[in-house]
Amino acid sequence: MSDSMTLGPSVSVRAVGARDRSSATVACFFLLMFLGGCATKEVSVKGDFPPPLLEPLPVTIGVWYEPDFLAHEFYDEAKGRSDSTWIVKTGEAQVQMWSQLLRGMFDTIVPIENKPSPEQVSQIVDAVLIPRVDELQYAIPAHTNVKVYEIWMRYAFELVSTNGDPIAEWTMTAYGKTPPAFLRSDEAAVNLAAVVALRDAGAHFITSFEKVPEVAQWLENQQMDTADKEPSTAL
Amino acid sequence: MRMLVQSSVLGLSIGLTGCVTSTVDEMVFNEPIEGIGDSSVVILGRRHASDYETEFDFVNCISKHITARDPNIEIIDELEFINSLYPWFEPRTAPLRPGDIDRLMQQKPVAEQLATLKLEYMIWVDGSTVQTNSAGSMTCGVGPGGAGCFGFGTWGNAADYEATIWDFTDQAEVGRMNTQTSGQSYMPAVIVPIPIIAPVQGTACDGMGDQLLEFLSSEH
Repeated sequence: MSDSMTLGPSVSVRAVGARDRSSATVACFFLLMFLGGCATKEVSVKGDFPPPLLEPLPVTIGVWYEPDFLAHEFYDEAKGRSDSTWIVKTGEAQVQMWSQLLRGMFDTIVPIENKPSPEQVSQIVDAVLIPRVDELQYAIPAHTNVKVYEIWMRYAFELVSTNGDPIAEWTMTAYGKTPPAFLRSDEAAVNLAAVVALRDAGAHFITSFEKVPEVAQWLENQQMDTADKEPSTAL
Repeated sequence: MRMLVQSSVLGLSIGLTGCVTSTVDEMVFNEPIEGIGDSSVVILGRRHASDYETEFDFVNCISKHITARDPNIEIIDELEFINSLYPWFEPRTAPLRPGDIDRLMQQKPVAEQLATLKLEYMIWVDGSTVQTNSAGSMTCGVGPGGAGCFGFGTWGNAADYEATIWDFTDQAEVGRMNTQTSGQSYMPAVIVPIPIIAPVQGTACDGMGDQLLEFLSSEH
């Protein structure tokens, strides 16, 4: 699975504000009453995410989830009467998965309430990680004629110092798919594909984090700092 | 009278199955002649291809087939295994060659977890069941006098699976098995549809399960 992989004839998804979405939902409702079409399929992604099995890195990381990340959802409006409007809410599952993953990956994790800046310096962490969902695409069999439900996500990560100076910025992709199954609804299949994509995001993050050159350099500096401090502590 | 006809049709459809053709090939070496003792086995599906993935149900079916015939063989549940070793057996990270086990064992918690499980054999199943063709049409209707269908439908299924056995201790491949199964299902309908289903995946599961049982069990 390469970073440049695409889902073929997939559907682009655009994020919309809450007001736009509610207007569209109301419009859909009335259209549904008069025309008998325009069904909305809503999925609030739910899943279990296991803790990672690895030696934690000896650093204390703060994690800041932006409001857009906490409430992340994607919305795809129906293109025709035979199509459905899709709303897939991933924010809650994103936070659940990333919190579980980061707790196992680093010595200590500290949730941060505001973005670090010179005025918001956090003394208790070594750096702050800020995850974002940059893009999300999905494909269902009705769109592609391929018997697979797919979800593809591109994340953007920022690792900043305690006063907000950038340490590293990088992007990462995640992919999840699931085949159709007897008696499984479209909504359940999209939920499962999203859970697989989130698991893949965790796997990709763990295997790529230390390979980001700026992160590797920062981790090395952290280790050297700790080694420098140890003799003085002993004395 | 109608009830009697419907019950007869239902009974007939339960009793009828379509024809299935199955071929099983195997090549094994270093077979454990005295069985696997108190060690355990895990059967895992390959899911890294873009256009198909080995069904969890199929892997579960093979596990059940083996343990039903030899309860002494301990097979670890696939999902439990994958979750307990997350993220090292996800489609992106799963070892593709026996040599990759070394890389995994360098992670201390992973090595400890695998030692706890007493894992002796890791069996990878790769393949899927697909629908190959379909034809016919059926019309159903509801009226004041009742409901019914009329028509005929037929479809074909094909299953192609390969199991690769890795000896976990020696970190070597010790066997490969392949099963190819195909069958045609039919659904004639005169008032009541009568499904005559060819158990393609079930036959593939039985074929592969029997071969793996022969390899793992000292009693078969």
